[in-house]
Amino acid sequence: MSVFTEQVMNALLLGSCYTLAAIGYSLFFGVIDTVIFCVGDIAIFGAFGVLAIYSLAVAGGLVAGVPVWLLTLAVVLGGTMLCALLSVTTHRVGVKPFEGRPSLMPLLSTIALGVVIRELIGLFYPQGRNPHVFPRLLPGGALSDMAILSYRNLIILGTTLVLLTLLFLFVNRTKTGKSMQAISQNKEAACMIGINPGAIVTLTFVIGGLLLGIGGFLIGSYYSIIRFDMGALYGLKGFSAAVVGGLGNTYGAIVGSMLIAFVEVFVSGYIHGGTAYASVFAFMVVVLFMIFKPEGILGEKTVEKV
Amino acid sequence: MSRLIARLNPKWEPALVVAINAVSAALVYAVVTGRFYVSMSAVALIVTGLICLERVGLIDELFRLYSQNRRAALLALSIILFLFPFTIRKSPYLVHIAVMACLYAITALGLNFQMGSTDMTNFAGGAFFGMGAYTSALLNMKIGLNPWFGIPAAMVMTVLLAYLIGLPTLRTRGYYLSLVTIAMQTVFTLLIINTEWVGGPNGVAGITPYSLGSYSFRSPLWLFGYRLPYQAHYFYLSALVLMCAGYVASRLHISRLGLCWNTIGEDEIAARCQGINPASAKLLAFCAGGAFAGAAGAIYAHYISFIGPEDFDFTKSLMIICMVILGGMDNVTGVTVGAVLLTLIDEKLRDFTDYRMLLYGVILLTVLLLRPEGLIPKRVRRYELVFGRAWRKAHGSGRHETGYQA
Repeated sequence: MSVFTEQVMNALLLGSCYTLAAIGYSLFFGVIDTVIFCVGDIAIFGAFGVLAIYSLAVAGGLVAGVPVWLLTLAVVLGGTMLCALLSVTTHRVGVKPFEGRPSLMPLLSTIALGVVIRELIGLFYPQGRNPHVFPRLLPGGALSDMAILSYRNLIILGTTLVLLTLLFLFVNRTKTGKSMQAISQNKEAACMIGINPGAIVTLTFVIGGLLLGIGGFLIGSYYSIIRFDMGALYGLKGFSAAVVGGLGNTYGAIVGSMLIAFVEVFVSGYIHGGTAYASVFAFMVVVLFMIFKPEGILGEKTVEKV
Repeated sequence: MSRLIARLNPKWEPALVVAINAVSAALVYAVVTGRFYVSMSAVALIVTGLICLERVGLIDELFRLYSQNRRAALLALSIILFLFPFTIRKSPYLVHIAVMACLYAITALGLNFQMGSTDMTNFAGGAFFGMGAYTSALLNMKIGLNPWFGIPAAMVMTVLLAYLIGLPTLRTRGYYLSLVTIAMQTVFTLLIINTEWVGGPNGVAGITPYSLGSYSFRSPLWLFGYRLPYQAHYFYLSALVLMCAGYVASRLHISRLGLCWNTIGEDEIAARCQGINPASAKLLAFCAGGAFAGAAGAIYAHYISFIGPEDFDFTKSLMIICMVILGGMDNVTGVTVGAVLLTLIDEKLRDFTDYRMLLYGVILLTVLLLRPEGLIPKRVRRYELVFGRAWRKAHGSGRHETGYQA
């Protein structure tokens, strides 16, 4: 097992964690044309939700005798439900009042909401300001004697792939998904053919919340430690990835996430003392893209008309 | 009420201006010195007062009054600022709050060029402030430069940083611009934490205070037989810089450049059609803001004498943005009021340190939801020489056509 393969695997894992946040940004941006900046915080809220439910279950003695996979499914389901609730609340409080206002406002209000979510976790979760050990719910063994092919890593990658496929099928093959596309293309025309935009937008936020909840769970499992303020950087990386790939483009979100993750992992792995500067390099990539290709890798170049 | 003022004998107008200044000063005094509940009620009074004044159109009248009695207003303000440290000389901490209010007001005025005038949400305000502080502090610590020369040096370096941050934002707008500035702010913090030469996570300690000859600003100030705490030096210095900054900002506000910024903020393509070069105007907005923040940061470093990376992180940027939005974007008076109010609230809530960030989030959200235009909303720009003799000649007597009516 060479170091190189290990790094590639690490980058893939990190990239799939970023992908879920980036997809969240792209999904929201595609449907309501607004960037929701507290995506990272919603995901970390989900991770804390999973932790809280797990801790409660352990404290209540409900764990004994329950198979691990069932327990995992149950707590993840609970956590993602909380996330979906928070995501819809975000829309109601931070986005809906600003419809038709300058784009600066929902941007600022969602940043403020992100701060509020973060601080509420820090203040009201028991010892919320300290790092918390995330429960090891994913199996620990490895596929072969190669440590890097552990079940945990494979499950993280596999879950991301399955989620992406499901999302793709939902958006492109179901009537509801097509309604979402219709709204993103032309809201008024969509209304005219009988699509209820309010319901579709709410549904989008529910789906986004579910995705982010699972993203939070994967992040927690990947780092195995969670902090209340992780969401800020996670969300920023996710947004960077979405922009680098082309905002609003699902494939772009994946490509961008992988690019950011590979830059980070390889800078920490191959440059001496590079670990501290990994994020710096990642953001430099973003800045370079902003200068030379602002529409992103797969984004369409928009020509502004008067 | 506004008719009452309009009907007032012009002879009494300067007296009215002085009286209003005195009342505002008394309110600020109550906020600064009062116990927690007194000071919070004073804040509530100021906020509701400003909103009510705006509702009945009195603010416009006040602006007119002040611009026509500029000399009386400035004189009264200078005297109030001069006397202020005397009234709170028993408590160095209160003077410290006043210094911080001035410094943040300068920085917020700088950010206003980008956020208010040009509609570019810059999240790197903390980095600008920090660049000024670190430049002056490091020049002082590493090569022993006189702190006074640190101010211009800090301004130059911060303008350079602002230029660098401004460059990638030229091709971007809205969310993308914000992303670039957030990324730059994060990069700035990370670089400072990870560079041993600038002190790393430990920051820079023991920065020399300002001094004139052998007279150090770190010694108590004796004026008219009163002993003022040493912070009073810095209060006078920063108040002076704040007045200069306010003057420059309001001149820029009514200048051709200010008009260009506003046009770009409204519609960049239309601005381009008018023959405005958006690239240079935007860069100028960044650089002007950088110069303000750099000066404030330099004074901050030598005043506090210890600076660390966590003083200039994203949190600080968000705080400065809050000040601009709370006060009223694109309004010099409003931004100053917002900065002073928020600093005072922040310091008064020191006992609840854990809740500070939550409070900022909630304040920002509340202001955006309830009053997105801020306490003193922006006015229509008067692209006129309000400061010059020509304007006074044309408008001095005709008090009724004000040009303020939006």
